[in-house]
Amino acid sequence: MLAALEHSAFSQWLLGSNSIWAYPTVLTVHTLGMMVLVGAIAMIDVRLLGFGRGIPLESLRTLFRVTWIGLSVNAVTGSMLFAADASKRAGSPTFITKLVLIAVGIATLVLIKRDLFDGHGDPGDVSRRARRLALVSILVWSGAVTAGRLLAYVN
Amino acid sequence: MSAIASLGDLAHLHLLLNHAPTVGTTIAVGLLVLAFIRKSDDLATVALELSFGVALVTLPVFFTGLAAQAALADAEGVSAGAITSHEDAALFSFVMMAITGVVSWVAIWQRRRSSRPTRGTVIAVFVLSCFTLTAMARTALLGGAIRHPEITSSDGAAEAAGGWLTTKAVAGFVTQHEWVWPTSEALHFLGMSLMFGTLLIVSLRLMGGMKSMSFAAAHRLLPFGVLGFAINVVTGMLFFIAAPEQYVDNVSFHWKVVLLELMGACFLLLTVYDRLWALPAGGVPPRMARVLAVSTLVAAVGVMYFGRMLPFIGNAF
Repeated sequence: MLAALEHSAFSQWLLGSNSIWAYPTVLTVHTLGMMVLVGAIAMIDVRLLGFGRGIPLESLRTLFRVTWIGLSVNAVTGSMLFAADASKRAGSPTFITKLVLIAVGIATLVLIKRDLFDGHGDPGDVSRRARRLALVSILVWSGAVTAGRLLAYVN
Repeated sequence: MSAIASLGDLAHLHLLLNHAPTVGTTIAVGLLVLAFIRKSDDLATVALELSFGVALVTLPVFFTGLAAQAALADAEGVSAGAITSHEDAALFSFVMMAITGVVSWVAIWQRRRSSRPTRGTVIAVFVLSCFTLTAMARTALLGGAIRHPEITSSDGAAEAAGGWLTTKAVAGFVTQHEWVWPTSEALHFLGMSLMFGTLLIVSLRLMGGMKSMSFAAAHRLLPFGVLGFAINVVTGMLFFIAAPEQYVDNVSFHWKVVLLELMGACFLLLTVYDRLWALPAGGVPPRMARVLAVSTLVAAVGVMYFGRMLPFIGNAF
């Protein structure tokens, strides 16, 4: 199945085409999505870790929305990039590490959002749990970015 | 994509821009002295802003220097040794200037945030600027000696600086260890995300989002942007010095540097602009702020775009 994906007309076009709109653009949009996604998450995390306490927690809702946009863009572009190189990526330890880190990162983000906005505590206060989650989040997403970038160099 | 500058143009640009670090730093030091004498906070702020701006311009000065070197490759009567001495002195000066620029920015940011005078940081900028100026003057002398042997005395004033901070040593470090380039790439992406996140939160507020946040609250996070920027200057310089042939004549790199300068200018404005600083929670941002926010984000995305496109639009790798 991986081979079929790899040999599909789309994958052939993505890797084979000389057009700037093929692989280069998809890769660049993937980078853009990452920058938006991880940038917004980093700001949520540093706020929860105690920097910029003047920033109302309520206003972070906007950053969560930005995060979902970045995540959607990268789910699409990431699938495209995977399709082009399916059999190589599927067996790559670095790639699997990256996917696991992203899954943990998303779960952490959902937990943070719940803790901030669905809790019954004082909304003006960051709970200890949220602080710990923020630390996990920043480490996990840094790991995901690193693993993604290293895919260009190691299997 | 068509080229925006040939090697010759870049060599010209180098001769044009290379005066900025020496002349700019001289003026900044002079203004700081005047600020101390007159006890003028405004003069000190101008000096700090100038110092940050000069540090920003020093990036293309260094980059165009390597283009000038390439343009001079087959020129007669030019000694490769003189160029290497100039290049190594330039690298040291660049590092000094970059540190001065970052400390200047910290001083600007502190002054914006607190009414207390930030004497310690300003004195640090003054001392750093004096060292930078000395290093830059020496670089200028060695640079001049490439075409004007008459300015150096016969006892070898143009001798190589030696030491560990030479472009050859840096390039060797990057190419001899297999892990350095990939590690630096990963750090470059992390630095980029951190910087973009900072610019994003500030710009969102100025474009009408996150209304319940005062601008001053978002301003608190700007040092994370500088941290990301610093990580990327260091890692970016490692790439550039290790493989200058991938960048000097690369149109994608040229656009990247142009947008980098624009982004830096936007960053300075976001740090100092009075009307932004005064924007309270719930306040409507002035129209100019919207223009600044959009310019900032366009420049930041553009820097990423042309960086990622280096191998595709240009000739890198």
